[in-house]
Amino acid sequence: MFAVNNADLVKNTTYKAVVPFYVYASISFLVAAWLLFLSSGIFNQHYFQPKILAITHTMALGWGTMMILGASHQLVPVLIEGKLFSIPLAYLTFALVALGIPLLVYGFYSFDMGWPAQWGAILINAGILTYVINLALSINQSKKENIHAVFVFTASLWLLLTTIIGLLLVYNFSTSLLPNDSLHYLSLHAHLGIIGWFLLLVTGVGSRLIPMFLISKYNNTKLLWTIFALINAGLLLFICIFLYFPNPVFYFIPLVSVFIALILFGYYCYSSFKQRLRKHVDEQMKISLLSIMMMLIPVMVLISTIVWIIIYSANSQLIMLYGFTIFFGWITAIILGMTFKTLPFIIWNKVYHHQAGLGKTPNPKDLFNNRLFNLTGILFLLGFVLFIIGIFSTAEFILKIAALLLLLAAILYNWNVLKLVLHKPVKP
Amino acid sequence: MNEISNNEAKCRIALESLQHVIDPEIGLNVVDLGLIYQINFDEDHSKIDVVMTLTTQFCPMGESITEAVKNALEHAFEGMETHVELSFIPGWDHTLISEAGLKFLKR
Repeated sequence: MFAVNNADLVKNTTYKAVVPFYVYASISFLVAAWLLFLSSGIFNQHYFQPKILAITHTMALGWGTMMILGASHQLVPVLIEGKLFSIPLAYLTFALVALGIPLLVYGFYSFDMGWPAQWGAILINAGILTYVINLALSINQSKKENIHAVFVFTASLWLLLTTIIGLLLVYNFSTSLLPNDSLHYLSLHAHLGIIGWFLLLVTGVGSRLIPMFLISKYNNTKLLWTIFALINAGLLLFICIFLYFPNPVFYFIPLVSVFIALILFGYYCYSSFKQRLRKHVDEQMKISLLSIMMMLIPVMVLISTIVWIIIYSANSQLIMLYGFTIFFGWITAIILGMTFKTLPFIIWNKVYHHQAGLGKTPNPKDLFNNRLFNLTGILFLLGFVLFIIGIFSTAEFILKIAALLLLLAAILYNWNVLKLVLHKPVKP
Repeated sequence: MNEISNNEAKCRIALESLQHVIDPEIGLNVVDLGLIYQINFDEDHSKIDVVMTLTTQFCPMGESITEAVKNALEHAFEGMETHVELSFIPGWDHTLISEAGLKFLKR
């Protein structure tokens, strides 16, 4: 038996508030890959230099964060089981962050920590604050409580803290705002963003979407709470150690905590995969599942980095490898997969909404070129592996070829995104 | 479908037309997916009342799927107006998928 409970259909967030984030993120990926290609030789040198800072922030903010902000505006109803509080606030978030990123990146690239970087950082902070407010009000008006909402909201708070520290670091270049120079706080700023924002969000969103896309019978909320606690405890411990007990050996404690969380999340995804009803797994899901495994690469590099620091001293190559495997590896892989798992539905809803049920319309997966998608994936994986070899071998020509492969992957990815966004209706 | 309609012959036609309404993500039609709970024909008022569910209340394709159900039925029964009611008690789960649907998913 069932009850007719006149449940409301929760309206989707309009594509107008979501698609600009996707387009911006795609262009940022292209810009970052282009900058990487132009500057691949500097990956033989020290990691703290203008061009690497510019590439890292283009990847972290323009590519990773903008894509996640866009997707989260679309997926808020699914994740928090309620509708997005305000569409104008979503527009405002986009406008502020989209204006801020090029200013900040230009500031880094030219190493001008004056007004471009400062205003860039201010605008980004204002945009993230707008996003946090919108998310908080959305969750507040939602009737249900769920763990995915807790993951997403906590991640957004870590993001805000990351960008606030980033703002302080930008000002610290020209004014002595903090007790030490900005380089000293780099690992604190970076890990709040990587663990607090990216990892927490990916686990929170992934734990909702992966079983949903696989039509899996698996559900384990207790395990998700454990993962949530381990990631946050690890991050809080890291902050305490960084500020009060900065001995490299102690960093193994938060690392173990986060590592266990990753293993448990891997187990959660594996269980969802094993208990799926839908046997066929498409390429977009395959690359997303691959990215879960790719999370382990930076962890292994981080362990090596800490061991190296304890035995010798900081190793610039390992630190660069760590950053590269996070931004060009794990985060890029998950976005490459998830873009073509979410954007085709947004465009399909926009174009074919009123034609639904009235005849044959194309499937969302027909709106992009799957062969191009596969080629993008191959170029990306080749470029990624080759770049790692390039960092280790310090051979400039290997770095250049690898960067070229990643640039080609970015071009094909943009082509496919453009094909999707500009899709015109096919008459039934 | 959980409950039989008040008009079995028409219901059969309705279900046949709803077999063409496909969940775009899963690729399975809404009938075999187990989304249709009830179809009632109100001949006096030329109305079709459909009670259905979605795989999740916050399904991003929810609007399109309910619109497609409405369009498909109004196309099959010209002159009748379709009213779609959503129910999430019980919510959808895999046990609602038909044998044919399970077979499709295991391909």
